[in-house]
Amino acid sequence: MSDLRGNIAIAGIGEVPTGRYPDRDCIESAVQSAYLALEDAGLDKDEIDFVIPCGTVYQSAYNSDLICSRIIGEMGLKNVTSNAQVFSGGASSATMLKVAGSLVYSGIAKHVLCVHSDKLGTGLSGQAGIDLFAYAGIHREWEVPFGQHYSSIAGLVMNRYMYETGTTEEQIAAVQVSNRKWAELNPNAMFRKPLTVEEVMASKMLSTPLHAKMSNMLADGGASFIVTDASRARELTSTPVYFLGEGARVTHFSLSQEADITRFGYADAARDAFERAGLSPKDIDVAEIYDSYPIFQIIALEELGFVERGAGGAYYLDGKTWPGGELPVTTNGGMSSQGHTGGGGGVALLVEAARQLMGKAGERQVADARFAVVTATGGTYVDAQVEILGTEIP
Amino acid sequence: MSDTVQKPLPEMSQVAKPFWEAAREGRFILQKCAACGKHVFFPRIRCPHCSSDQLDWVDASGRGTVYSYTVVVNNAPSAFINDMPYVVAIIQLDEGVRLLSNIVDCDPAEIRCEMPVEVIFEKLDEQFSLPKFKPLT
Repeated sequence: MSDLRGNIAIAGIGEVPTGRYPDRDCIESAVQSAYLALEDAGLDKDEIDFVIPCGTVYQSAYNSDLICSRIIGEMGLKNVTSNAQVFSGGASSATMLKVAGSLVYSGIAKHVLCVHSDKLGTGLSGQAGIDLFAYAGIHREWEVPFGQHYSSIAGLVMNRYMYETGTTEEQIAAVQVSNRKWAELNPNAMFRKPLTVEEVMASKMLSTPLHAKMSNMLADGGASFIVTDASRARELTSTPVYFLGEGARVTHFSLSQEADITRFGYADAARDAFERAGLSPKDIDVAEIYDSYPIFQIIALEELGFVERGAGGAYYLDGKTWPGGELPVTTNGGMSSQGHTGGGGGVALLVEAARQLMGKAGERQVADARFAVVTATGGTYVDAQVEILGTEIP
Repeated sequence: MSDTVQKPLPEMSQVAKPFWEAAREGRFILQKCAACGKHVFFPRIRCPHCSSDQLDWVDASGRGTVYSYTVVVNNAPSAFINDMPYVVAIIQLDEGVRLLSNIVDCDPAEIRCEMPVEVIFEKLDEQFSLPKFKPLT
């Protein structure tokens, strides 16, 4: 069991709406979400002693500002000992939480502000977004020259997964419908109109068999969370969210070098996480499964042990993951419906897991949510990150 | 127009120079570890299996099968817009290693997982010829 189990907690969360906000500066999304997290935790800004800004990808100059303590300067934080960026692409939620938790547990920090914002929706043109991601984490010697990019990555994974499991395109499309059902109830989501499998299948083909509406949409957004020790969290709030366990594996750099693109490292990561938490998948009330593309949301759900291999697509199609279903999955709508804010897609999911456990999820609140699992992965799905959180320490 | 966008050349690493020199001559070579006997791709400084620095360059079959593939028909990176539709594939080489490439010289609709393929070289410029694959005949 990890020493962090039950000793670390998320005391507050904050988030600004995700979408296209040309008049909202990237720094504003960061600062506003940070203040929402402070208010949620009942913490004064000058009690923050360590800041972890996640990486921002829309503009390298802005990210340099973050590395050089812009958050501290903008908020006028008086008692910060260190500002240290933690950035693992889409996996940053998990790595920020682990680093923040370890800093608190070791006594180096007391109240850690983890903050993310990006402006991928309006800070870049559509084609510039495609081109940016044609290099992000894609090997410049062995993959970029062949036209690899994120749509082709999703297409490669879908084709092999469908070949091995017999899953259909319609079943994969059903993940988007499930995510949209949740986003309809999420005021911070970018897309909230109902969506059908037929609409997903009728959208233009990008990279076979990936359709446009199986893709995420780049967006502007920001989210923050505050990590402290469990006893301090109980003093601050009536709704502390305890860190119960984590497991993770990094399995490749370039997608072509992944041993199994239909599984990745989720099974090993999940086994560790559940063992460390002292829980099993059947104890989980809400599963915040990282998407970015629906195929990854199916693979992770299966590999974590919630459904059998090859049965994930049908599970989504049958509505088991919808509001009111047997296993609420990705309850903020995921990056397909809430929006893709770079490293923030995972941060938004982690914040959503905490929100559900705090009982603050409004119309989409999962009743009596006690235990949540949240996953993340970065780059070309280089890693499998699994975190387990709870309202109590089992 | 997109046709003014240059194709990205491989950002050549020092360790991979022999690969690109051989490719220019139409030869497909791979690293092979003298210590553990395994083939290695992409080219490494040390063997990723046993950490040995005894990585030799050996002639390779240039044959393999399609592990997975996708046909890019929309929203390609700028430099590839004029190539659409094009096929991106992961090739499982007979030597046990995988690489990313394009499948050419065939109807994309006929490509399947596990289909046998063989290497051909496509000249990008005086320095670089890219290893691409076509169905094995």
